[in-house]
Amino acid sequence: MTLFLRRTLPLLLTFLFGVAFAAQYYIPHPVSEGALTEISVWLRIILGFAMILGIASLCQVHYAKIRTRVAGWGYSLVVYLSMLITVAVGFWAGGQETGTGLGWVYTYTLLALQGTMFSLLGFFVASAAFRAFRARSKEATVLLVAAILMMFGRVPLGEYLVPAAGPLAGWLLNVLSLAARRGILIGISLGGIATSIKIIFGIERSYLGGRE
Amino acid sequence: MRELAGKLLRLDRRAIFVLIALATLIPLLYPVGLPIRVSPEVKRVFDHIESLPAGSVFLLSLDFDPASKPELYPMAVALLNHAFRRDLRVVTMTLWVTGTGMAEKVVSGVASEYGKRRGLDYAFLGYSPGGANVIINMGQDLNAAFPADHYGERTADLPVLRGVRSLRQVNYVVSLAAGTPGVESWYVYGKEKYGFELGGGVTAVIAPGLYPFLDTGQINGLIGGLRGAAEYEILIGMKGKGMAGMDAQSATHFIIIGLILLCNLFYVLAPGTVVRSFDPSAPLRTGSAQDRTGSPQEGQR
Amino acid sequence: MATSVLIGAWVAAGLTLFMFSFLYKDNPFFRFGEHLYVGVSMGYTIVRIHYDVMMKSLYGPVAQEGKWWLLVPALLGLLVLTRFVPKVSWLSRISFAVIVGFGSGVAIPRIISSNILQQVQGTLKPLLNAGSSRFGMAELNALLILTGVLTVLVYFFFSIEHKGAIKIAARIGVYFLMVYFGAAFGYTVMARMSLVIGRFDDLILFASRDYAYASLVLLILVTLGLLLWERGRRRAEAVLRPREPRRGTSQREGVRRTA
Repeated sequence: MTLFLRRTLPLLLTFLFGVAFAAQYYIPHPVSEGALTEISVWLRIILGFAMILGIASLCQVHYAKIRTRVAGWGYSLVVYLSMLITVAVGFWAGGQETGTGLGWVYTYTLLALQGTMFSLLGFFVASAAFRAFRARSKEATVLLVAAILMMFGRVPLGEYLVPAAGPLAGWLLNVLSLAARRGILIGISLGGIATSIKIIFGIERSYLGGRE
Repeated sequence: MRELAGKLLRLDRRAIFVLIALATLIPLLYPVGLPIRVSPEVKRVFDHIESLPAGSVFLLSLDFDPASKPELYPMAVALLNHAFRRDLRVVTMTLWVTGTGMAEKVVSGVASEYGKRRGLDYAFLGYSPGGANVIINMGQDLNAAFPADHYGERTADLPVLRGVRSLRQVNYVVSLAAGTPGVESWYVYGKEKYGFELGGGVTAVIAPGLYPFLDTGQINGLIGGLRGAAEYEILIGMKGKGMAGMDAQSATHFIIIGLILLCNLFYVLAPGTVVRSFDPSAPLRTGSAQDRTGSPQEGQR
Repeated sequence: MATSVLIGAWVAAGLTLFMFSFLYKDNPFFRFGEHLYVGVSMGYTIVRIHYDVMMKSLYGPVAQEGKWWLLVPALLGLLVLTRFVPKVSWLSRISFAVIVGFGSGVAIPRIISSNILQQVQGTLKPLLNAGSSRFGMAELNALLILTGVLTVLVYFFFSIEHKGAIKIAARIGVYFLMVYFGAAFGYTVMARMSLVIGRFDDLILFASRDYAYASLVLLILVTLGLLLWERGRRRAEAVLRPREPRRGTSQREGVRRTA
């Protein structure tokens, strides 16, 4: 019984839901459409709880650091305090942001921090381009030429200096690059479908996690 | 000369950082204003919105977070300006949780400039988790997907959503996306079954990946990166952040092109360089001394 | 200007400079900003889940509209959280089975239609529509796209050995891929530079008189802070380092001086 509940039931549910909603696409009957509507509402609620999982996991990691006083535990305290203050401010504001404390926290902390964190990549891409972007082979040379053409042709200064650069970059994107991307897309899609089928038929079980 | 080339290849990266910072700062402080050519894929989004009669339902999904704000926020501003000028019924939402505040701010900000009223002329549905699942839910029953808007008002009672039971009644959807869920999700789980017209506005990182969809007509237009935002601003006759950033974009691109060309020149000049052909079946070899990246100082950090 | 906006501008400019200080090296200012970001985004996500999911999608429909059957997905959602209790964590498999089963099921027909059939159609249609008209740019492009798609697919087909005609096709596919990666790199550079431009734009705005020269003042303060930290760090390193007799200029000392 325990084995049925722990292993067989989840696999059975995956199979039933997988087959049912793959077949649903081809059945326009109102009952079928109604089932899709209802289950998609259910999924939104379940996924909301799943988001709590990620947050709780992060809380656990930082709590462990504070408890054991590892090096840098003060920063974990910053995580906790900032999280609690944001939650308190958010509930006080009733979840609304216009003209509230939550809006202030969002605009002047989250926007600034997340925006700047990812903008650091701009500097590192320049540094990496100088250090590592070398024409070591014919293939690398093709990559290099395509990259330079794109960077040159997609900015106003490049198009001003060489008017043909813009249309050439456009042609590169709309023909050569498109062809490769389409091949990758078809390949990935075939792989994705194969994986989905393996999941539905219980061949791929890594999503269950842990011992069976 | 060769020794100098070798030394320059190991230049401290902080010197490059300063160069990039100056290349960004100077054009922002002293703009030149070079002309910008409008690309056909951006014009197609513009033309489609131009063709929509007043009162058409335009859904703008702001699927990005603050990390992509510099590229996609100017697009959102431009599209909303255009939509409100055309007196379309604007419905906005987001599939990214940390993008909710930005989405709300841009919609209410632009709407107030045109005197548009929330609930009557536009709606902000807010955020819902699930990505593709939300799109399916909206395609089946919009009120079930969003029982209430971001401000807690029942969507079934909103005048702006009168007659809109699902995505089938939406005239045009544009997804401004920084990844997944994004434009591809809106096509695969939305347009494919529910048949609305779909356009895309994306960060430059994912733009090249969407050209196959543009080519087949699965999306009817594509606005890519800050450049795309600038092009759209030109089309609607608006001076925004997109255009303002183009000079700095030109400068930084040319700096990086220069760095790449110099790097390759030094690489060729540096002692011990061998240019080889790529052969996937050949055994892995360690590189020459010049392949080593990083300065001596980096090892000390 | 409202006080909250002025204070907010100083906070935003300060935090932006804290994050940019990483360009010098990893330091306490950056780490503080990094952890603050994690905490604030977690807190914001909790608030959004509460209001946008729990209140609107669960509490509202159940308590106010009588849709009691939505307690079933609520229960499944709670089962997800049993992941944290090792003895009953297997219960979460039921919820994940529903999520994964539904997701896999809906994906299959849609991906077949949109990513495979439509893409294949898009590749072949221009060639089939060409007919007897003269061979122009459009026809050349269509042929190039077909060649690119086929050769890239051949390259990724690792089940057969790449030799003879297959090897030639795969090599051509590699060149198409290099063009795509080059274009993608060029666009990635464009994207990353746009992010830098965006942040610098805000810093320039906050450096104006309206915001009491926030960026400039804070830049000086952060720079001073970094210098003090660097000095303190080197002093601490010097104290911890074991005493060695002076040997003159060794390679290690030369490098340390340069750093």
